Amino acid sequence: MSIRLLLCALWLVSGTVSPSLAAGDLPVRPPAELPTPASLREANRVLEEEIKVASRPQTYLLLDLPANAILIKGRGVELQRFTIESWKAADQPKLTGVYRLKQRPPVVRPKTVPGEASEPEPISIAHMPVSYTLHYDPPLIIKVSPSARTSPWSWGLSLLQECWSSLRLWFVHLTTGGQSEALPSVRLTLASDQARALAWTVTEGMPLLIRRTTDK
Amino acid sequence: MKRAALFALYLCLTLLLLTLTQSQSLNESGAAFIQDEATDARALQMLQARHRALERQLAQLQPPTPYIVVDTARNYLWVKRKDHVVLEAVASTGSGSILDKPGEAGGQWIFDTPRGEFSVQSKLTDPVWVKPDWAFIEEGMSVPRDPAERVEPGVLGEYALGFGKGYFIHGTLYTRLLGRNVTHGCIRLSDEDLRAVYKIAKVGTPILIF
Repeated sequence: MSIRLLLCALWLVSGTVSPSLAAGDLPVRPPAELPTPASLREANRVLEEEIKVASRPQTYLLLDLPANAILIKGRGVELQRFTIESWKAADQPKLTGVYRLKQRPPVVRPKTVPGEASEPEPISIAHMPVSYTLHYDPPLIIKVSPSARTSPWSWGLSLLQECWSSLRLWFVHLTTGGQSEALPSVRLTLASDQARALAWTVTEGMPLLIRRTTDK
Repeated sequence: MKRAALFALYLCLTLLLLTLTQSQSLNESGAAFIQDEATDARALQMLQARHRALERQLAQLQPPTPYIVVDTARNYLWVKRKDHVVLEAVASTGSGSILDKPGEAGGQWIFDTPRGEFSVQSKLTDPVWVKPDWAFIEEGMSVPRDPAERVEPGVLGEYALGFGKGYFIHGTLYTRLLGRNVTHGCIRLSDEDLRAVYKIAKVGTPILIF
């Protein structure tokens, strides 16, 4: 009788404890690769903007920072993809909306001399710069530089330029008492052939959209 | 023995009471957690649904009919239907060179193939080239006053597809230069590829040039 009572009590206790243990198993976090609400919100924001841009007869750039890629698109169709080796963005939260390129990167064009039998050497991707700055409206600066792997000299030079501009900005900041405001900027490192191809592709007025990262 | 059993029963009942209280509070917090999770899951589902709807909306902007894509850097032309490549051809596009306009300070012709989205505006068979001013100036000749002197048949191939502002997709006599940036902005193709593109393309076919 007493043993029965004891067993019954133990069964009751075990029965009530086990569901609470099961409840403890509930906190299931989605794996990192699954879309989070923040990443979906950002993707949706970019899609909303892209639909507007793609509705017009034009090609446009999509700078996809989480995917480390720059896409040339038209009507929502991906035309070309460039791989970003590394990137750095200042003021990422501000990088929303549609930007328009003010000017193409400069290139030395061959000149045709009237009446000359031999035609000038045509321009090709090889003539395009590997290190350049793209200015956008609303104000945004995109600095493109080649990777150290593909173009060590140009990479070194762009690194020096970056140090110099940081130093200059710091000096301005110091002398104006912190009133100067740097423009939103993105620094992209691409393989030199990709940097050249991007310089070739961009045109004045070409729209740019940016998909930002959402992880803290 | 009986006392021990009663004690055990008492102990178990106390434990039961304690665990019930605890499980109640656990269940409450668990319920709150489940509710949070449910809200999060609902929000996530709504975001996912919105995402799918936006992707569908964007996909609807893709040309429903075959379209032409031109890569001016690599000198390639593709005819695509959705994501499927119907035809791939080696092309020649703009040389990017410049020519000064006589009598115009700072005026220049830039021989680039325009980039962006265009569409086939005209389809011509046996087209004749009406030489523009730059063609004469480039050759060191004076620009003729008689329009008949501008007409040059047989240099554009069997067909030409106009896509605006005097730019055409046409054939060439200089097939050995295909794959290079040598034109004054037009897109050159071999006879065979031109024939195929002409067959597929209709007036209104989109042309995406990058």
